[in-house]
Amino acid sequence: MITLNHYLAVGGLLFCIGLFGALAKRNAIAVLMGIELMLNAVNINLVAFNHFLAPDQVTGQIFAIFVIVVAAAEVAVGLALVLNIYRRRLDSNIDDLDWLKW
Amino acid sequence: MANWHLLTVEILTAALGLGLLALGLLVPHSDRRGIAYVATAGLAGILAVAIGMREASGVVLGGYVIDPFGTYFKILFLVAAMLTAVCSYDYVEKMGLNQAEYYALLILATLGMMILASSGELVSLYTGLELMTITFCILAAYHLGDAKSAEAGIKYLLLGAMSSAIFLYGLSLVYGSSGTTVIREIGQQVATRGASPALLLGTIFILAGFAFKVTAVPFHMWSPDVYEGAPTPVTGFLSVASKAAAFAALVRVFFGALPDLHNFWVQLFIALAVLTIVLGNLVAIPQTNIKRLLAYSSIAQAGYLLLGIVSFSVLGVGAVAYYAMLYVFGNMGAFMAATAFYNNDGSDEIKDYAGLARRSPLVAALMLFSLLSLAGIPPMAGFVGKFYLFMSIISRQYIWLAILGILMSMVSVYYYLLVAKAMYLGNPPEGSKPLQVAPGLQVAMVVSLLILFILGIYPTPLTNYAMNSAVTFFMP
Amino acid sequence: MLQQYGIIAVFLVGGAATAVAALAANWLLRPKKPPEGDKLATYECGLETQGPTWIQFKVSYFLYALVFLLFDVETVFLYPWAVQFQALGLFAFAEMIIFIGILVLGLWYAWKEGALKWL
Repeated sequence: MITLNHYLAVGGLLFCIGLFGALAKRNAIAVLMGIELMLNAVNINLVAFNHFLAPDQVTGQIFAIFVIVVAAAEVAVGLALVLNIYRRRLDSNIDDLDWLKW
Repeated sequence: MANWHLLTVEILTAALGLGLLALGLLVPHSDRRGIAYVATAGLAGILAVAIGMREASGVVLGGYVIDPFGTYFKILFLVAAMLTAVCSYDYVEKMGLNQAEYYALLILATLGMMILASSGELVSLYTGLELMTITFCILAAYHLGDAKSAEAGIKYLLLGAMSSAIFLYGLSLVYGSSGTTVIREIGQQVATRGASPALLLGTIFILAGFAFKVTAVPFHMWSPDVYEGAPTPVTGFLSVASKAAAFAALVRVFFGALPDLHNFWVQLFIALAVLTIVLGNLVAIPQTNIKRLLAYSSIAQAGYLLLGIVSFSVLGVGAVAYYAMLYVFGNMGAFMAATAFYNNDGSDEIKDYAGLARRSPLVAALMLFSLLSLAGIPPMAGFVGKFYLFMSIISRQYIWLAILGILMSMVSVYYYLLVAKAMYLGNPPEGSKPLQVAPGLQVAMVVSLLILFILGIYPTPLTNYAMNSAVTFFMP
Repeated sequence: MLQQYGIIAVFLVGGAATAVAALAANWLLRPKKPPEGDKLATYECGLETQGPTWIQFKVSYFLYALVFLLFDVETVFLYPWAVQFQALGLFAFAEMIIFIGILVLGLWYAWKEGALKWL
């Protein structure tokens, strides 16, 4: 039988993969993709908790919908900014963002 | 029907932001200067409403808490937003972009902070946090012609999104281990069920998310870069208001939902505070750019504010609230001076400030007294704020922490005085002219200079208000 | 438990067999002479392609895509509301009107600022 712990394990793994991707990738769009994985890990957690702990309420599911929408807004702004930089420099590699020293 | 009148401030702010956006589409490009005045006047009106509502309290729809603490911070955000708007007139006009957009974003960021400071529920807390973060990304990247500004925007976005994903994972774990998202109910659940590993992990993740927003070391890496690249008024707003909003939400979450774990998280806060105070002050010394210097100094200020959290008492929370308010005037004052200088000379380097006192006594005086207030020299307001913060931790027997804070304040005097030395003892470059400062900005400068002195000499009304607003968290 | 997985296995095998059978039938029935003329064009019954396909898209295409993404995702809030429309009543209806009003303002903004203009 699939229990809450299975879902949490999937969520945790996905979160770690996303975090690794966000930290290790050097391309701004790849970093955004890693962040999306992390947010989806959160969604798995929320929906699983909702289903197993309080199935009569939908708080977790509504929370997940909010996370999806906010993530879309974040990605839209991120892509617009990447586009702006790309037009200027024809590159989206974050290592080359070095006008401001790290 | 619910008690909607409690939401007046938020509804007015949202209406003002959206209205400005629509107004910007209706008036022709040439007339858009007026929008800046409409924005400032609107913010002043909302500020009056918020001051009128300062004693109001109640819960809207089960999860949105209106109380004196939240309203105190709303007043703070509105004051900061007004100063930022006044400061932006010339700066934004020079960029030549759609001004309505800029002011609408500024006001929507303020709305996000208000929601953050008053939400008693995790979903709205997250929504407020993201409204603030995303609008700040756009504002930081607003100077389209400047490559540094675009870079600041993308850095803030990527690191901000990563930190909020971590924060969110923490929220999901807290939700999972208590079965509710209402902060008060989480507190009750934690009290009855006790701590579980998932809850402790969630606490750490939430702490990391907040530490990023308040620029506590080791989560501060983004701030010098973003502060340097973003338009100067936006940097000022980002450094005072978003930090204050994060502190308000931090107090609400940790004191409202997790007071039973305070033996656990206080240790983490002590570590963060020590690292932040020491590193922020030491790294500020070699900086040559005024915005980077102010970035590191504001990292250090966040460390002092964390001391108030460590003390876990009414005095501590009140001191945080009070210090955050005068930090608005101190830091915004310094950034207003930097903006005025940039508008004239187009430079942020400290060495270019040489002889500023002779070119514009007002700008130099504002910079000097703001920095002295940040350093905590009497009779400036910063002294009273630091006094309360250190008192609050001494009353909890963390005397070594207070001594460390005082020592590091002395270090901060050194690098603040380096700027003063350049301004007052240096010689102005050949052929330099007196600074041209717009009348509106001059008024704002004089007002914030006066307030720095008044709060330092006669702080009682504001400290009383701050302490009273803090009581909420320690009532059964 | 195991029986349920058995049913899935039968479905998998059945599905694969259907696909293979269809391909095999085509292979048996089709004419065996090599293709020529229009058969070799990229689109057998469409326009001839002009120029290479690996060109850069115009930036306005991405703007379109971003605006579409936002409005598309915002509609996710409409689904739970529509499902529970009767139960939620007038209050939720008013809230949704405000929400859609804000979206319309955004659309108007994108329109006026020229994000929807195809240059």
